Amino acid sequence: MIELVEKQSSIKLLEGEQRIIVENSLAKSTSVEVMPNSSLVHYRLNKGNDNKLSVKVHENASYKLITLQIGNGTLDIDVSLEGAKAYCQSDIAYALNKEDKMTIVSNFVHNANETTSNQLIKGVASGNSYATFEGKILIPYDKKKVEGNQQHRALLLSKSATVKAVPALEIYADDVKCSHGSAIGNLNQEQIYYLQTRGISKEEAYKILTSAFLREVTDGIDAEDLRTSFEKEIAECLLLNV
Amino acid sequence: MSALLEVKNLCVNAEDKQILNGLSLSINPGEIHVIVGPNGAGKSTLSNVICGDPRYQVTSGSITFKGEDLLKQNVDERARNGIFLSFQSPVEIPGISMSTLMKYALNSHRKAKGLPELDAVSFSKLIRECAKKFEITNEMLKRPVNVGFSGGEKKRLESFQMAVLEPSFCILDEMDSGMDVDAVKIAANGVNLMRSPERSFLIISHNNDFLYEQIKPDVVHVLVSGNIVETSDASLLIDIKNNGFSRFLNKGMN
Ligand SMILES: Nc1ncnc2c1ncn2[C@@H]1O[C@H](COP(=O)(O)OP(=O)(O)O)[C@@H](O)[C@H]1O
Ligand SMILES: [Mg+2]
Repeated sequence: MIELVEKQSSIKLLEGEQRIIVENSLAKSTSVEVMPNSSLVHYRLNKGNDNKLSVKVHENASYKLITLQIGNGTLDIDVSLEGAKAYCQSDIAYALNKEDKMTIVSNFVHNANETTSNQLIKGVASGNSYATFEGKILIPYDKKKVEGNQQHRALLLSKSATVKAVPALEIYADDVKCSHGSAIGNLNQEQIYYLQTRGISKEEAYKILTSAFLREVTDGIDAEDLRTSFEKEIAECLLLNV
Repeated sequence: MSALLEVKNLCVNAEDKQILNGLSLSINPGEIHVIVGPNGAGKSTLSNVICGDPRYQVTSGSITFKGEDLLKQNVDERARNGIFLSFQSPVEIPGISMSTLMKYALNSHRKAKGLPELDAVSFSKLIRECAKKFEITNEMLKRPVNVGFSGGEKKRLESFQMAVLEPSFCILDEMDSGMDVDAVKIAANGVNLMRSPERSFLIISHNNDFLYEQIKPDVVHVLVSGNIVETSDASLLIDIKNNGFSRFLNKGMN
């Protein structure tokens, strides 16, 4: 695998496998095109920035995105699966605190047969922060054997934090498998109690469970340095390691 | 000898329903006590109340542990003072591994004692030694806490945590249920290895043979409808095995 840094705002992968790591995306818009039979892994951090990410995945190609969204900003993701057997996995973790306002808009279009998309969006909102997630999956009427999954889960760490989720499925075809779900909740009291019975303080139990919650996304990063730095960003934002 | 744990006239509610009705119990250092009783009698409630589970309200009575008022301490303080519960149904915690949990737990205990954090080498040595006692594999320690384990494996992992944390008072709530014969032997063996003149146990089980033959408790209590209705020596287990609970059932009603 080759590692590149997303300097330019346009990435086109013609063949083979590649991994692109973006420490902090400063581009206003990024376009990605994954050509037939190639596969791209894309890790990015988006911190206090507005960004539009447009992705085209061609026949038999695969695109895997793991992105961490920290603080203020809007993340706009458009993915279109353009060729048969195109695959996209998009995992997003977000962490907000204080007066942060963040919006994620995702728009997945299945423009070919036998295409699959999996989305996992997990977020933690603390302080007075406000998060909005709008996720749309569109499957046109003549497409066959299409699968689209979208799961959004959020954890509210304070009473004045808000998370709004607006999932939208527009499915006009019959031969599809689609699932979506959104759950917004608080830390699990039974888990906190269990950790406390092992001698861990309540405050520390909160921190452990909060980082565990987002780890489902960050654990997918197979570059240890980057995974550690993402976990650090999360801990700093949520004041998890004071 | 002063008792390690002293429960006096304990009344406990959950969701406005009274579950324990004036229960008293005294356990000396080094003793193994067993509580038996029908389902729904309040055995797990008692275990969790001793640990400070916020779902339960103590409406009257007292619990003293090592001479101190236990009810004034929060859950983690009680644990650091030496109370350990092996849960009847341990909760799943995705995203954190058993070995990470033990690192946090052990360091919390050490910090409270004014000791430095354990270095990585000593920690993994300790974990390995305890894991061996309960036939816990390395792979099991790397998996998320209680996620995807069989009933018996979960109970073995509870015993493993007990061995790591070396509590002075161990509550084992149906530690042996969901275990096959061999696993029960491993668990009993673990308890017997941990037996010491300073460490006491409160064991809840429905398996009288396991208790009588492999644990050999000092005291046996029968808990019915939120109260202890009979206290005797281990021979009571054989009596109950042969005759069931029926002769105690009307005693609990008040
Ligand atoms: N958190 C709770 N909220 C409401 N009722 C409870 C709660 N915990 C236990 N109970 C009730 O108290 C009684 C005793 O339960 P439990 O202590 O689990 O019994 P045992 O362990 O002896 O089988 C049961 O009737 C049970 O339904
Ligand atoms: Mg029970």
